Amino acid sequence: MWFIVEDLINGILMGAIYGLTALGLTVIFGVLKVINFAHGSLLMVGMFVAYWAVTLSGLHPYLALILVIPIMFFFGYYLQDIVIKPIFKAEKDVREPITVIIVTTGLWYILDNLTLLIFGPQYRNIQDNPLRGKMLEIGGMFISVPKLWGFSAAILTALAIYWFLQRTRMGRAIRATSLDRDAASLMGIKQYKVYNIAFGIGTAAAGIAGVTLVPFYNVFPSVGVLFDIKGFIIVVLGGLGSISGAILGGMIIGVIESVGPQFMTATWTEGIVYALFLLVLFVKPSGLFGVRYDW
Amino acid sequence: MTRENFQKLSAALLLIVSFGLPLVLRSPTYLHILILLYLYAYLTTSWNLVGGFAGVLPLGHAAFFGIGAYTSTVLFLQYGISPWIGMVLGGIMASIVGVIIGLPTFKMRGAYFALATIAFGEGMRVMVENIDYLGPFNLNGPRGLQIPPLNVGLANLMFVNKEPYYYIILIMLIAVLMLTYTISCSKLGYYLNAGGEEPEAAKALGVNVARCKLIAMAMSSFLTALAGVFYAQLTLFIHPKSVISLDLSFEIAFIALIGGRGSIAGPVLGALLLRPVSDFSRIYFGHILPGLHLIIFGTVLILVMIFQPRGLQEPLTKAYHRLLDRLTENPTEKE
Repeated sequence: MWFIVEDLINGILMGAIYGLTALGLTVIFGVLKVINFAHGSLLMVGMFVAYWAVTLSGLHPYLALILVIPIMFFFGYYLQDIVIKPIFKAEKDVREPITVIIVTTGLWYILDNLTLLIFGPQYRNIQDNPLRGKMLEIGGMFISVPKLWGFSAAILTALAIYWFLQRTRMGRAIRATSLDRDAASLMGIKQYKVYNIAFGIGTAAAGIAGVTLVPFYNVFPSVGVLFDIKGFIIVVLGGLGSISGAILGGMIIGVIESVGPQFMTATWTEGIVYALFLLVLFVKPSGLFGVRYDW
Repeated sequence: MTRENFQKLSAALLLIVSFGLPLVLRSPTYLHILILLYLYAYLTTSWNLVGGFAGVLPLGHAAFFGIGAYTSTVLFLQYGISPWIGMVLGGIMASIVGVIIGLPTFKMRGAYFALATIAFGEGMRVMVENIDYLGPFNLNGPRGLQIPPLNVGLANLMFVNKEPYYYIILIMLIAVLMLTYTISCSKLGYYLNAGGEEPEAAKALGVNVARCKLIAMAMSSFLTALAGVFYAQLTLFIHPKSVISLDLSFEIAFIALIGGRGSIAGPVLGALLLRPVSDFSRIYFGHILPGLHLIIFGTVLILVMIFQPRGLQEPLTKAYHRLLDRLTENPTEKE
């Protein structure tokens, strides 16, 4: 019986980390109204940046955040500015910017394979990992320490982004643009600058997620693919554009993945996740916390 | 020579060349590359019925490919039913699944639709990977099914040489292109076009957009399943990762998009341009620069989407028409 509680707790911790990976996706979607298919690749890039930051400087993984966050932010900012903005401009009057989705898919392929080309397919792990395999024992249950760190990082990042969006001027501009891009533009908000910053924030969030994953997950070029699809599922579950939805959606998935294998094979739990995803898409596409925006 | 005659002559020449190629090109490797080229051209043209004409972005078509492959293979291995019948049955199964998928998903917005089709595709793959026995049928899970090369011949769609495969897929490709052309000139084609561009206006005019999309989906999934059967008989081994893969779904969509979805020549053009790139970069650069062909795909996709969102067929078709004007007499210009 205690196993279930242990699984539940680990599931919640891992789930929060999943939520963190999906956080960037939901912010980008909420503002730009596009599903960034390259998000998994951005996560992978974040993991590689974190890996190299730690390996080359010997810093504690979480200290490497000082490097990772700005690098990822500017990477995302300029990615949006150079690659995606031209499509937006071309598709200004189209109701559903499908072409942007296609472009982000192309980006996914390019990033994944470029990394494969440059760094090779081998799995990497940081050496002298101060967090590796550490477990905290609470009353007979083993809680994974790196996941505990990840959980805290996830909650802190979510709160930080929430605070940014609610309390700062730029945050308000972002929220305005996500509600009605034309009205915001009429109010003097530079639409494309907001997009760039939102994309930067989303990518930086992916970078933070990368840092949390590096202590206990292998780093290799196609690691993003696993999180990519899970990210979409989480984001739809929680509601596209909702930060709390992303974290909660992540926790639901995390719990299913942790507790599920007690009752069925691990691959069937994967099937359950897909089934749940489809259910949400059919019944309430706006997700648990999403708002019914007609964009 | 009039324009019409010129076009008929070039079509005839193309047919002669394509049918005569195996007599000139003896190497099985090159024939295999051509077979795969035609297969992808066929797949993208079938995809085009939904992705181009109906205006949505289905990214899970590999599921239908797999349904066709598995249906015919299981029936063949366990009951000795000929793959030709397997094609029909697999196609019907895929159609039914396609309509079931289409019913709830066509109501969704573009991005959600894409995600839903991905979920269906991946969900199907997970299912097949986990199920060993579906009732009396042996699916063999992740280990896949292998077809022993006995009883070769036309009846069983199994041949020792590549030539018969080449002709079969060529005929299939021509058939699918003719079907697409017929649809594009028919009422269904116009309804689909209207429904894809401006669904509300179309509905206001009395077009049953949902029904047309479902018809397109049923046709597209049927045709894709036929290709799955062909592939199973070509490679004589299928397993979930090869026939129900996300990569396959994406590759079909990419090629159709780069070539130009919504047009007839587009998908074929895309396949013609991109498949050789894929094959040759894999053959010559595979070990030094792995994944190069995917980088090229991705870059070409982005560039095409930025500069020619209607696909590469647009500038090429324009150039073709200008060429036609120069070479042939145009009755209206004579005055």
